[in-house]
Amino acid sequence: MTEPLISARNIKKYFDVAGGQLKAVDGISFDIYPQETFGLVGESGCGKSTAGRTIVRLYEPTDGELIFNGKNIYKLSRKEMQDVRRNFQIVFQDPYASLNPRMTVEDIVAEPLDVHQAYKTREERSERVIELLRLVGLGEEHVLRFPHEFSGGQRQRVGIARALALNPKFIVCDEPISALDVSIQAQVVNLLKNLQDKLGLTYMFIAHDLSMVRYISDRVGVMYLGHMMELAESAELYSNPIHPYTKALLSAIPIPNPEIQRNRKRIMLEGDVPSPINPKEGCRFVDRCSCATDICRKETPVFVEKKEKHFVACHNV
Amino acid sequence: MEKVLEVKDLKISFKTFFGEVEAVRGISFTVGKKETVAVVGESGCGKSVTASGIMQLLPMPPAFFKGGEIIFNGENLLKKSEKQMQAIRGNKISMVFQDPMTSLNPTMKIGKQIVEGLVKHHKMSREAAENKAIEMLKLVSVPQPEKRVNQYPHEFSGGMRQRVMIALAMVCNPQLLIADEPTTALDVTVQAQILELMKKLQDQMDMSIILITHDLGIVADMSDRVVVMYAGQIVEVGLTDEIFANTKHPYTRKLLASVPRLDMSKDEPLYSIDGTPPDLYIPPKGCSFYDRCSEAMKICKDHVPELDEHSATHQSRCWLNHAMAFKGNSRAGGEK
Repeated sequence: MTEPLISARNIKKYFDVAGGQLKAVDGISFDIYPQETFGLVGESGCGKSTAGRTIVRLYEPTDGELIFNGKNIYKLSRKEMQDVRRNFQIVFQDPYASLNPRMTVEDIVAEPLDVHQAYKTREERSERVIELLRLVGLGEEHVLRFPHEFSGGQRQRVGIARALALNPKFIVCDEPISALDVSIQAQVVNLLKNLQDKLGLTYMFIAHDLSMVRYISDRVGVMYLGHMMELAESAELYSNPIHPYTKALLSAIPIPNPEIQRNRKRIMLEGDVPSPINPKEGCRFVDRCSCATDICRKETPVFVEKKEKHFVACHNV
Repeated sequence: MEKVLEVKDLKISFKTFFGEVEAVRGISFTVGKKETVAVVGESGCGKSVTASGIMQLLPMPPAFFKGGEIIFNGENLLKKSEKQMQAIRGNKISMVFQDPMTSLNPTMKIGKQIVEGLVKHHKMSREAAENKAIEMLKLVSVPQPEKRVNQYPHEFSGGMRQRVMIALAMVCNPQLLIADEPTTALDVTVQAQILELMKKLQDQMDMSIILITHDLGIVADMSDRVVVMYAGQIVEVGLTDEIFANTKHPYTRKLLASVPRLDMSKDEPLYSIDGTPPDLYIPPKGCSFYDRCSEAMKICKDHVPELDEHSATHQSRCWLNHAMAFKGNSRAGGEK
């Protein structure tokens, strides 16, 4: 069996807010294997973006371990971290906000190279930038342009080129396509897939579009209020969901086929996601769950392997 | 079917520093009583401008109506004065906007915002208005309505705010509801709640809906008919089943193909439409989809195709419909 590229163990990230602690990520564990795509889904506020950012240590974790190359990177000093960090990159959600409007595309893409002093001469720098732009389907002619001269899809390509600059092993894609139009989404997803094949990348793909996550991911984790509820291979998760939350989430996706959609039975969830500030003991989903029992209110269910490679945290399965 | 709204050859442009942007370039469609018509298309295709145009909520200038008619209950709205429009807006035609976070007034209590229209249109007493506000919140299933009417928007979650927006739009029993991406800012589970709510209210109140969206799943779920827009024009219109099962226009076909389906194999590449929509400062001379169409022919470049009828309800604008068009790969849909 292949070794995982990264192993997350009991990762926690709390924020201090007025009125208590906001437990954005509250003890999640998983492995990500080389060259796979690990999907992370959940509703807004469930902590999926915080999880992504904590994993690359953009946020200092409250607790937990992240093993990469046999080392717990949360223990590394700032200096040691910088070396490791070239292996981790992130592509952000909003291509309008994540590129500096006052920098040219060349400077944006070369910024990681500048920081890590990854070139010797100016020529080397601009050659690398052009190489990267070609890789993402842009070209030499775009080098001196500013972000506002690009469409959303093109901007996201610039963001991807920047993420690739240091030949990373692992890229966190934090909702990379949710700000884009349907036809452009497909372009970016195909680009990400091609790059993965070409460069042997490993992705963590965070999104709330469940059909897109199913399409791109090998394994998918479902988060709810800072907890991991279910984790399985994507085909397995979508055809045999076990957790009541996953079932409800899947049934809420409208399917673009009128014949199927009209005859579907939806599992309606009542209400909204509760506040993650000072959450109660017990299952996080209990207030919206149709099969909740007493034990669900008292004890937090343990995340266990119910079937082969299929993990669930629920008392009633 | 009884027509509630008829848009005839509507043209809306914006005057800008760089010239005129032709955002809507001659579109015609009808909405029947109790019917849900979905308008789909990418951003910039003119779907929201059409919606705001019907309500005459566009800032003028820079926007102006270049031509066409909007017939509502037999009267042309474009001939109405601003005062007459005010009697229609929010009363006979209402709108639900995309972003529930920004479309409510943050300094006004929810209850007051809901009945604002009612007080204006029906001269209601304050007490009666407050009771009505509570009744409306009940209707859209907001828990504890008596307490909630006296709260401010920031005390509501996104899904709850969108319910308030719907209550606000429904308070005068409109004949037509224009919903501009009503669930785009919401999570799927909340989206499902809101869509169910809209269906329920439509049944109760015999209302017609224009639903603007880019999510084809929502279209399949909600609509009776579909209008597909591209670059300010209608490229295909038909019953929902006709659009999904008997797609005629290459753009619609590609749009459907670029959405990942839950039953799709992961090895199949996702179909993507290359390029981006044309710039409407200089609208293309021929078919607006020419640059991105894998089935484009010589004629498409310089000549705009007519809207051809496939059935009494189904029309599309494509030269492939022409009797002389080469039919060899017209159903290719996928590869380019």
